[in-house]
Amino acid sequence: MSDTATKTQSETPAVELVTLTIDGRQVSVKKGATVLDACRQEGIAVPTFCWHPKLRSLGACRMCYVEIEKFPKLMVSCATEAMHDMVVLTDSEKCRAGRKATIEFILLDHPLDCPTCDKGGECDLQDNAFEYGLSDDTRFAFRKARNVRDKNSTFDDLTIGPEMVRNQNRCILCYKCVNANQEAFGEHDIGAYQRGHHTEIDAVPGGQVESLYSGNLVEICPVGALTSSDWRYKIRVWNTQTVPSLDPYHADGANLTLWKDVRKVHRATSRMNDDIDDGWISDIARYGYQVATSDRRLKTPMVNKNGVMVEVSWEEALTLIGRRFKEVKESQGAPCLAGVVSPNLDLKTLHCFNKLFRGALGSNNVDYRSDYSNLATDANSTYSYMASRSFSIANLASSDVIFVVGSNVIREHPNLHLKIRRAIFEKLGWLYTANPFVTKSGDCSTDEMIYQPGTDEVFLNGLTLSLIKQGLADKEVDTAKIETLLVPNTIEKCAEICGVSVERINECANRLAAAKSPTLIAGELVSTSSERENIAKAFYNVALLLGIPQNKRGQAAILAKAANSKGAEALGLSPELTEGQTSSLKNIFGALPELQGSNWDAILRGAVGEEIKAMFIMGANPVQIGVDHSHIKKSLESLDFLVVADLLETPTTALADVILPLSSFAEYDGSFTNLEGRTQDFTRGMKLVGSSLPGYEVLNLVAEKMGFNLYADQESLQDEITNLLNSYTAPERKLHLMESHYPSPAQAPENSFPLLVGDALHHYGHLTEMCHSLLAFDSEATLELSADLASRLEITSGDSVRISCGKGEKLILKALVSETLEGDTLLAAHNFAAKPANCLTSREKRVAYVQIEKIEKQ
Amino acid sequence: MAEHKLLLKYTDDPKHKHVDGYVAHGGYTAWRKVLSSMTPDQVITEVKASGLRGRGGAGFPTGLKWSFVPKDSPKPRYLVCNADESEPGTCKDRVLLECDPHSVIEGMAIGAFAIGSHLAFNYIRGEFDFPIAVFEKAVEEAYAAGHLGKNIYGSGYDLDVVTQTGGGAYICGEETALLQSLAGNRGMSQMKPPFPAVEGLYGCPTIVNNVETLAVVPHLINNGGEWYTMFGTEKSKGTKLFSLSGHINRPGNYEVEMGTTLRYLIEELGGGIPDGRKIKAIIPGGASCPFMTPDQLDTPLDYESIAEAGSMLGSGACIVLDERTDIVWTTYKLIKFFKHESCGKCTPCREGTKWLTQLVERILNGEGEESDIDKIDNICHNILGRTICPLGDAAAMPVISAVQRFRQDFVDRIKAKNVLPMEQFPFN
Ligand SMILES: Cc1cc2nc3c(=O)[nH]c(=O)nc-3n(C[C@H](O)[C@H](O)[C@H](O)COP(=O)(O)O)c2cc1C
Ligand code: SF4
Ligand code: SF4
Ligand code: FES
Repeated sequence: MSDTATKTQSETPAVELVTLTIDGRQVSVKKGATVLDACRQEGIAVPTFCWHPKLRSLGACRMCYVEIEKFPKLMVSCATEAMHDMVVLTDSEKCRAGRKATIEFILLDHPLDCPTCDKGGECDLQDNAFEYGLSDDTRFAFRKARNVRDKNSTFDDLTIGPEMVRNQNRCILCYKCVNANQEAFGEHDIGAYQRGHHTEIDAVPGGQVESLYSGNLVEICPVGALTSSDWRYKIRVWNTQTVPSLDPYHADGANLTLWKDVRKVHRATSRMNDDIDDGWISDIARYGYQVATSDRRLKTPMVNKNGVMVEVSWEEALTLIGRRFKEVKESQGAPCLAGVVSPNLDLKTLHCFNKLFRGALGSNNVDYRSDYSNLATDANSTYSYMASRSFSIANLASSDVIFVVGSNVIREHPNLHLKIRRAIFEKLGWLYTANPFVTKSGDCSTDEMIYQPGTDEVFLNGLTLSLIKQGLADKEVDTAKIETLLVPNTIEKCAEICGVSVERINECANRLAAAKSPTLIAGELVSTSSERENIAKAFYNVALLLGIPQNKRGQAAILAKAANSKGAEALGLSPELTEGQTSSLKNIFGALPELQGSNWDAILRGAVGEEIKAMFIMGANPVQIGVDHSHIKKSLESLDFLVVADLLETPTTALADVILPLSSFAEYDGSFTNLEGRTQDFTRGMKLVGSSLPGYEVLNLVAEKMGFNLYADQESLQDEITNLLNSYTAPERKLHLMESHYPSPAQAPENSFPLLVGDALHHYGHLTEMCHSLLAFDSEATLELSADLASRLEITSGDSVRISCGKGEKLILKALVSETLEGDTLLAAHNFAAKPANCLTSREKRVAYVQIEKIEKQ
Repeated sequence: MAEHKLLLKYTDDPKHKHVDGYVAHGGYTAWRKVLSSMTPDQVITEVKASGLRGRGGAGFPTGLKWSFVPKDSPKPRYLVCNADESEPGTCKDRVLLECDPHSVIEGMAIGAFAIGSHLAFNYIRGEFDFPIAVFEKAVEEAYAAGHLGKNIYGSGYDLDVVTQTGGGAYICGEETALLQSLAGNRGMSQMKPPFPAVEGLYGCPTIVNNVETLAVVPHLINNGGEWYTMFGTEKSKGTKLFSLSGHINRPGNYEVEMGTTLRYLIEELGGGIPDGRKIKAIIPGGASCPFMTPDQLDTPLDYESIAEAGSMLGSGACIVLDERTDIVWTTYKLIKFFKHESCGKCTPCREGTKWLTQLVERILNGEGEESDIDKIDNICHNILGRTICPLGDAAAMPVISAVQRFRQDFVDRIKAKNVLPMEQFPFN
């Protein structure tokens, strides 16, 4: 399944080419390309500072001069369009003189502090100055005193963001940082202030450079003017080596480079992949490698001895696990064993996990979806169908209308967010977003529709009705019985319930119907909803009416969230297998256990109901991240035996009988399958921390204790995985409209507000709490609320508020008055173990309603 | 060729700045004519026929510029009047805004119609408190009298005019920086292409014209484009405002036919140099133009002749410098201005103007070396033609002409190694 997604729909309009001559060579490039593009295509080096391949050219630095016949002036190649029959010289006398003049201007009062500059060794200015600045006739006006800047323009280092230090003396004012921040990220937290040679790059007055993409600015700064606190003074770049890696958190699959020495990894940077990331990575991906180097890492196995966790040898821990699992299996039967694995683990580990349970232990009780509740029990659910539709990030570029529902895109898919922005701005396309609260993507949307929390399917059904009523639906879909399929079944009623007006729904429907190649995206708010199946059906209906599942145009999918969710699904890590998966797994495992497995919901119930006795949780932390803290905790406490493998101690390991130290993605080779179904590899960057082991090795050791071997060697393991991925086919179905009923909502309790629990902007799941750089952005759990609600409740940012829900659970969080949020919806982050925000959520209720009160300051 | 008052005809009449006074002098007849009987293409044809060239400095043919607006663009179009007048020595737009604001409004209206725009902006220099007030009052009166607004004269054409005060920088007069500033961004020049006519304000087709350019337009409609070619030379048509300043007996704004000699402007209209002193240098078109010398006094004031004489007509700010003038010091003043006003975007202009300032300052301080003169010249050539917008050229050109035409002044200054106290400068 790896590459099919990308191929299915990419349009290939005939490209017009222009042919020019560069340094005597004929070069053909796409019409619209710049002379610089043409040079680069031909492998001709042209020095640049302000240019970035994914940004509009600024033409500011004047380094990229070329000489073009018939043009009297030197031309900046980055901003000159390549034209037919142009004759370009890139290394003429005149060119070199122009570049030399630019270097001379830049070096006029650049502090030559390379020995103490973090950029040293990877600095464009060093390289270009070497090429164009050095000669015996180097002429500087104030040669003797030239590295003494005049007082008015000497600046102290300034911390301008949680992870950013600015050294204005080194800044060559190329404006690349400001340009990227505005154009690529839609952020305005860094800017140029003052004028002329007094210009300073600084954070917006009163603010900090703290967007999710801030680290990219450091990365693209051609000199050492912007440095990250993380990398500053750690190591000289020439003493490092690089290995290719991946964003281990998000399903986008952004490509990374890890920079390491013999001891450990020192930083992560982007590794441009045009189809996915354009060379931009989120700060979570950038600083998330710190899970590998954190001193909070578990280093040895531990066993609970009379209520005290005691460090033990692997041998002792494994022997205990082997004995207890065998005991349970023999005395109570294999179906009393259950396994839960994190979809953020690599394919080898996921496959071994499956093999251990379904193959060795004989239990089908495996799941990777411990973040969710109310899972469908059928492999052919509409949710599974919509979640497994092919989707290509690259195809966004050719989408004329993008529609997002139930997804806070920036927090779920940081790279997709940027690709959407780019697609919208480059094509001047249309973006419609529909969410229960304001999101960042709303910035560039044509219409940002806010529906009432818990009315997702009502909004979508309104859209379905609108498409049909306006005669915009695909003609081959039978829409006759629509009124009997939907409740409510008039667009007016839908509008009334969801709170988005009929006009806006109609306009969105019109635009979608007129689209040549629409992209429909649904996300976590759908996946985490207790009504996920219902919403999935409503979403499916809209897609069907637009002809998308029929492959007539565009793409629509409910997107996976974790780095390897798609891999977990394809490898069969949930109890519901498709027919194809069943037979492939049988082939590999020899046989599959008879009894239908329990999914995560059923496993939790089974644990309380004595049907599940022992459990192995690997990499997941459901007590902190799952829905309904107390329910999960109670279930896990009811177990006879619990093994948890993780990188650090978590609220889940706190309940374990045995804790096993797991290695992080930076310590072994592996692969993830991203949200498009694209499988990519990451490479080991440092040795295993302590006595920790990669998941697949842990699993094999456990299996060995029970007399099994999960793999003979890495190649055979890899072959099995490749086979499974290649043979995976997404569920198919008859194409007709589905029922979607809006269940009458429970009455919201008095004076209470809907609460959504999810990731903080700079965090993902439970691991990023180990990353000091990310803690510099968000260090504690907050309750985000709108300015309007805050003023009604007389709460200001920083106040402590007590949040309580019907179940009697209480949590005290710091309030954060959000600049973007509107209405009454509250957001709380689940990333901080000390503040389990999921204690306020419930597996029964669709929307958590909570009361909040300010705790008087002492 | 001599003085000819077309634009300055009524500027002395205090009633003329009000709508009634303006209409009494035949105002708004052109606008009525356009709306009642002309198509946008016909308007552009008249303007092209007149040979009118932009009065903001670059002298680009106005009708041609208007025709660059893509006819098929679905985007809104904008017309912007450039009233950011900040070129040292220039004060001609100001007199039009203050004394004849309705001619500017009428010109804007006709220009807007010609490019299919329903929203026109006047971007007026922020420090122009009084002109802004007069112009805003005039706009108010024009709305009240039905010259602006919805369905003007029952033609079905709508037009709004909005005044925007400038961002307080010389660079905001440069059209791409102006449009950035108008859109609420930092006023910094942008690379062209895309040209504003294709992608300007908010990424939409936009025409930027100087105040004086627009004020001429109603005359072209009233009298026909052909009529305008009666004035001026073969390639430079019409009349032009000159702001005469410096060592001159009667400084002020004068309107002359293109091709009138510099001598006529200075001697006849300006009344010559006080106390019968001799001229040392003339800056004919504003601070960004190379110096001319007294032997060039008979040069006709038109784009071509001035260019031939090695300078530029620019915005028409004619600064006269008499024999007492210290050219090194004048150069210092000029370059310091450009250093201060460089937007800082491109390296040669930002760093070069600073370096030049330091070098000339060093000479003034008696610390210069003879090699500095060539260095100045060389640095200027590293700026010239290497920058995003013409400000870089504007900074380099007068300095080049100073060190080339007045090299001896620099040599003397360097040799004397003396520091001249500020108060002894003859021209402050
Ligand atoms: C640094 C700089 C400053 C300028 N200032 C002005 C100005 O104040 N007023 C003006 O009309 N044009 C100014 N211009 C010229 C404009 O960029 C533009 O060419 C002009 O407004 C076009 O109008 P026109 O075609 O009617 O001359 C300036 C240009 C530069 C490079
Ligand atoms: S901080 Fe770096 S990227 Fe930003 S303008 Fe300065 S040199 Fe360029
Ligand atoms: S030439 Fe000067 S003013 Fe113009 S863009 Fe460059 S730095 Fe800015
Ligand atoms: S790289 Fe072309 S001007 Fe900077």
